[in-house]
Amino acid sequence: MHDDAGHSIVLTGATGFLGAFLMAGLLDRGYHVTVLGRSSKEMGLSDRISDLVRWFSLADPGERLCALEADLSLKHLGLDDATYGRLCTAAGKIIHCASDTSFTERNRARVMATNVNSLPSLLDLAADARTKHLYYVSTAYAAGMREGICMETPISTDSFTNVYEESKAEAEGIIGRYCENTGVPLSILRPSIVYGHSKTGRALKFNALYSPVKSLACVRDIFIKDIVEQGGKRSRQWGINMGDDGTVCLPLAIYLPIRGTVNLIPVDYFVESALCIIEHSVSSGIYHITSDNPPDMTTLADYSEQFLGLRGIRAVWDTSGKNPAPNPAEELFDRFIEQYRPYLSDRRIFDRSRMKSITPGLSTPAFTYEIFERCMDYAVACDWGNT
Amino acid sequence: MSDRENTINDVLKIAKNCRHYAMCKIDFLGTGVCASGLEKHYVSFYPEGRMDLYAALAEGTIPVTEKCVEIADSCNLCGTCDFQCYFVNEMRPSKVMKALKDHVCAYLESGGKIVSQEDDTVLTELKSIVGDFWATNDSAVRIAYHHDLCPHVTFKMPEYVVMPNSHEEISSIIRLLSKHKIPYVVRGNGASSHGLVFSEGVVMDLNRMKSIDFDEKNWSVKVGPGVASFTIQSEAGKRGYRVHTAEPAALVCANIMTSGLLSTFSTTYGISADNFIDAEFIARDGSFFSLNDRTAPNLFSFNNALSEREAFAICVSVSMKLHPVTDDEEGILVPFESLEKALDFARECATRHIGLAIGILGGEFVSSFLAPTKKLAAEAKDIFTKKLGMPYLVLFIGDRYALRSVRDMGQPAIDQKLFKTLSQGLPALHSAKWLDLLKELSDDEPFSYLRLGQFGDLAETALAPSSTQLTEDIDPDLRPFFEGLYSRPEMTDLVWLNTFRILSSRYCREKPCVALVCYLPIDTSLIDEIQGGLRDIAEKHHLKNEFGFITPIDSGKRCVWEYDYFFNHNDPDEISRIQLATYEAGALLDEYSEKTGTIRQVRYVVNQGYCRRENLLYL
Repeated sequence: MHDDAGHSIVLTGATGFLGAFLMAGLLDRGYHVTVLGRSSKEMGLSDRISDLVRWFSLADPGERLCALEADLSLKHLGLDDATYGRLCTAAGKIIHCASDTSFTERNRARVMATNVNSLPSLLDLAADARTKHLYYVSTAYAAGMREGICMETPISTDSFTNVYEESKAEAEGIIGRYCENTGVPLSILRPSIVYGHSKTGRALKFNALYSPVKSLACVRDIFIKDIVEQGGKRSRQWGINMGDDGTVCLPLAIYLPIRGTVNLIPVDYFVESALCIIEHSVSSGIYHITSDNPPDMTTLADYSEQFLGLRGIRAVWDTSGKNPAPNPAEELFDRFIEQYRPYLSDRRIFDRSRMKSITPGLSTPAFTYEIFERCMDYAVACDWGNT
Repeated sequence: MSDRENTINDVLKIAKNCRHYAMCKIDFLGTGVCASGLEKHYVSFYPEGRMDLYAALAEGTIPVTEKCVEIADSCNLCGTCDFQCYFVNEMRPSKVMKALKDHVCAYLESGGKIVSQEDDTVLTELKSIVGDFWATNDSAVRIAYHHDLCPHVTFKMPEYVVMPNSHEEISSIIRLLSKHKIPYVVRGNGASSHGLVFSEGVVMDLNRMKSIDFDEKNWSVKVGPGVASFTIQSEAGKRGYRVHTAEPAALVCANIMTSGLLSTFSTTYGISADNFIDAEFIARDGSFFSLNDRTAPNLFSFNNALSEREAFAICVSVSMKLHPVTDDEEGILVPFESLEKALDFARECATRHIGLAIGILGGEFVSSFLAPTKKLAAEAKDIFTKKLGMPYLVLFIGDRYALRSVRDMGQPAIDQKLFKTLSQGLPALHSAKWLDLLKELSDDEPFSYLRLGQFGDLAETALAPSSTQLTEDIDPDLRPFFEGLYSRPEMTDLVWLNTFRILSSRYCREKPCVALVCYLPIDTSLIDEIQGGLRDIAEKHHLKNEFGFITPIDSGKRCVWEYDYFFNHNDPDEISRIQLATYEAGALLDEYSEKTGTIRQVRYVVNQGYCRRENLLYL
């Protein structure tokens, strides 16, 4: 563990999507990174981290990277006194990126345990280490259920779309109050929906943007199989057929209650922004790492059609948000996107004044078909994360 | 090794893998049954017996006798046994049947002498009671009565096999054997897996006594000891009734005697004495009594300990209850992620008297039942338990009111239509990528996709279910038959399948098993604790072990639970390990039984199966 306070960072969540990319970015910039995490069922933490280093094709970081098995739910992170002591000397800055991203109410206890109840031991570490700066990776959607401009300020709502948003908002509050009381500088990073790398298409997780596309691909494949192998009698009864060019006509209306947008950013933009904040922020602040020009569902539907060789996908804005007479494909797809629906027609506009002031040369890449295709090609090549 | 030796080894392997499940003795596929078996009744004239006979001849443990030649000649190589045995075990016994004929033929052609086994006094007297053909000391007959796959028993070759056909003949035989102090056991000649029907003296086989007398005005049917569950169920079904029966090849009288009769219908129809109106017996002194006789022994009592090896009396008939059947009965499968939740649901239904039959089935049961081959069963198990996240499925049979109640309880379920799709589309499930998405959908509410109104249509489109697809891995020459079979409506009808239970015969297809069966309260933590203990024991001895099923009984207060240890009956090392494991498992169950005072093991029901349910469960 390195004890140069300015260049030594303790990072949680390095085995997750954002955390892994952030770790790679930090190592690339020469930081000393101590990763706090846990083993998976199949693999120890060190091996998981080594795998990631290889996945990112990073030069061997040697002693600049240290993996510590830690349990955030336990006092001193479950570490022995000596290790904890050494960690405190290494924790120049702390980035808390670990998070449970489940949206489902059924997982409330688990989500709250990870995102909220585990904070005391992390905050104890910040105090014990006299950390120079604490960075908390939250979400833009901690702003809660609302329309209009969301400022880069503490949250002032208790109305949320799901338990994930709620837990992140609560965590922001707890960490904010703690840092205010102790004088630890705090930066809260609020990304919107993050997808793969805009230049390479690479990603480690394939939910959020990927889920609807993956779902469409699966639904499409069901009907292609029926058409090719069974003659397509069943498909035809729902108006599904295949053109001579192989394009599948799949009438599928995506009903959304309001016309809004989908706020998407590529992971490389997230990392660049986060590094900028880490390197340039001195005092406390909240940053919206979001897109200024988010697309709407029509664009996503068009991109998906083009990518998947489909026709017939369309967004329908209807106050009920319900398809009155769905065909089986629509019914299944509707169910697939249920948890993502609030983010598919979003009316929140994220103010980015502070973000822009600290990252003057950095702008969100436009969400073009080329980037979409690159990311989806990569997802398909990885079988949507199954390989 | 020469080609001939290889062939002999392959055939011997088939012969020694017979499960003694007796499915070749009932017409469960509509193919008919081995003609010589039906005519001559002795086990040796059925494919099951010929398997044992061939193995004994090939290994040189018995000579070629007169009966041996008769048995070999009586097989016309019709191939019916191939359909039956392939359905159950994926085996082709006709190869053994042919090898038996070839063996005998070659022996005779090479000048071999037919061994004639002379009658002795006892045999002469037995023959005078039952007729010449129905008593024998010929080793070709006796060999089929000397063992089953039970790993705990020292098998015995009987001196004689006798097949009486009336109460009087049974009484006379008993008196004769008593006079000569010859030990005997009685069997009905159904399935045998518990090592209960072996004697160095006489095996009295009651298979000829197949009487079935309906008394519809009194809602009962009186059956003889040679009547199999499948047969009586079929006859009752023709008259619009259901009889509570066990596995299809189990004989009704013997099954009640040995296990007290239990099934998923026990939720409604009960166990042991709940199932019958009366029964008739021949006592060990040769006297006749029925349960309703005032002076009859109290067979309704139960002693919670291992009973005598020999039955107290021979059951010669039982009058079974006829249950009404409504035309709106339907089956569903309700999936659960955990045993705890499945138990909660099953108990709730049983307590509220919702439904006719309820059974929590584990992945091994479901997959081995559904799949026509071992390979597909392994895939199906993986799909149901891992991909679909359904390690437990509650089989629920009920009328429209019961099914409505389950819907009201809010459980997503696999209905009859989807069950048919999944059954006939089973091979396509393996490569269905969309299953991954279904699991994602379950994150919010388990199996919520089953609530989608058109999910069944979509699954049908995706899986293209058909009996052609289902049978694609089956031996090509048998495929046309099985294509026809699996296209029959009853083969995907959960009510029919649960009533006739022909799929349950596949449970030991991969390996035979020892079933650890007990009655106990529906107490999740207790079951979990015992299950952990049983699993630890099996794993210590490196034995495959699986949750079998749980059925709530007695208004949801208790349940019957089967946990299974699998073993290779042809591997001496595995036999040793299963012996140790089942001994330890029995001790563990005894310990819990003592500790709780509420657990009853079915192994203690043997020979006490006519007991009253309350005596069995509570006293």
